[in-house]
Amino acid sequence: MIEIAGLTKRYGQNTAVDNISFQVGKGDVVGFLGPNGAGKSTTLKMLTGFLPPTSGAASVAGHDIFRESLEVRRHIGYMPENVPLYTEMRVKEYLRFRGALRGLRGRQLRSRMGDVMETAGLTHVRRKMIKTLSKGYRQRVGLADALIHEPDLLILDEPTNGLDPNQIRAIRSLIKELGKKHTILISTHILSEVEMTCNRVIIIDEGKVKAADTPQNLVHNMRQAGQISVELQAPAEAAQKALAGLQSVKKVTVEALEKGWHRFRVYVEPRTDTRLRISTMAADHQWPLRSLARREATLEQVFVELTRKD
Amino acid sequence: MRLFFILLKKEFRAFFLSPFGWLIMAFAALMQGLSLSTTMKGFMDLPRTESLVYVVFQAPTFWFYYLFLFPVLTMRLFSEETRSGTLEGLLTAPVKSWQVVLSKYFAAYFTYLLLWVPALIHFKLFTSFTDIPPPFSQAEIWTTMLILSLMGALFTALGCLASALTASQIIAGIVCISILLVHFLLGLVTYFYGDQIAAAPLFHFISSREHLELFSRGIIDSRPLVYYLVATGFVLILTHHVLDFRRWKP
Repeated sequence: MIEIAGLTKRYGQNTAVDNISFQVGKGDVVGFLGPNGAGKSTTLKMLTGFLPPTSGAASVAGHDIFRESLEVRRHIGYMPENVPLYTEMRVKEYLRFRGALRGLRGRQLRSRMGDVMETAGLTHVRRKMIKTLSKGYRQRVGLADALIHEPDLLILDEPTNGLDPNQIRAIRSLIKELGKKHTILISTHILSEVEMTCNRVIIIDEGKVKAADTPQNLVHNMRQAGQISVELQAPAEAAQKALAGLQSVKKVTVEALEKGWHRFRVYVEPRTDTRLRISTMAADHQWPLRSLARREATLEQVFVELTRKD
Repeated sequence: MRLFFILLKKEFRAFFLSPFGWLIMAFAALMQGLSLSTTMKGFMDLPRTESLVYVVFQAPTFWFYYLFLFPVLTMRLFSEETRSGTLEGLLTAPVKSWQVVLSKYFAAYFTYLLLWVPALIHFKLFTSFTDIPPPFSQAEIWTTMLILSLMGALFTALGCLASALTASQIIAGIVCISILLVHFLLGLVTYFYGDQIAAAPLFHFISSREHLELFSRGIIDSRPLVYYLVATGFVLILTHHVLDFRRWKP
């Protein structure tokens, strides 16, 4: 659905997007992650034809974003950051205008308006002026606008930005629902959102792609994924030595607890399980063992690991 | 073309679905009424040979309010949408930039034309409510309206350009009025320095004051016609390029 090859955007001396390449297949729900200022919105603006790339190429549904901009725009439903809307219009008026711009007319337009208002839960506010709506409802109007022409590709720039937890849940379940029919590219920095809704993740930082994979794979490949926490009642040095001697262990740190107990953090190679060896080792030495757990890495840790500056 | 009319309708509604369009209309009607009534008083005190239409549009107060109509009409066209971000939504819909430019331009221009309806009604009222023969001819009214619509075409286009240049409505308004004032003052150069200077014909050519003076006597000159139409086209092309600049700038 989306093919990006070597896309670059410079603003004067400042490179916002630096030679990024990735693909998004049909039917994917992709989370586009990155810290603030990483170049997410700029990439999306280039895809939607609002900004031209400095160099590189991209295509949406087989159409070049620069040369066949109008064709590309017909395939995309785009919800920009902060959801700009004509606040002096009523919800219905706004959707009618946006639908007409996308070439819908007559009965087809009316039926699509009814459908998207239903999908976005706007039916009971359709006669209200947009300026009187709360942020959550405006977000839904933006979503309804992006959906009105049944686009193949939905591009949502921070769709849950500034919403309260209930509204975030509502939008999230809506996106999940939409993911069954549309290809979706969501930019966000809320990671729980991605874990719950996306089947692929692309992490960018300082204009470069840092990772592109499924959320599960990203988490498994993490350094923290191979971290085991053990609590033993044992002499610190001897136990540390014994643990370090085990197969595929990289490093052991120790922390003293009460009454001779120590907590050891054991760093092991990724994709190995050393817990059984540790418990056997503790039994051999007759050291009492009260806790043995592998730290489950989260996408948040992956994100921090890939994008932190230190 | 259908898209153009959809956009035009939306822009035109934006003028009259807010108090904005009505306020400026009331202001224009008030100023036109004041000009007419002061002129009529002047006619009572001192009989004149010129027609009522001519004297009304030669009043010094005319330019004072006339030029200020344009920044007010045009300053929000692009600036407001740039600032609020709705321009992004508009330009990522499958519409061409020229459709956006022309729809905004014509919405402002039609609104401007509507501002002259009260003036027409005033002159109509004069003939309906007095028993004296009207001190002007129909032709004078229509030639005056012709030059006003031509000048308005260029000045509205300049306002559009100013609005496309900046995200601030205030700055757009100031830029617009500055351009209009400079254009107006250039037309006064020969008034102050005489016709001896080499560039005098040029200043006569662009002098809106002289154009209005000529047309309000009922005379149609083809040169201003061409001047305003060509200049309007040029400024609109510039506006289109300003709007599209972000698409091709390095």
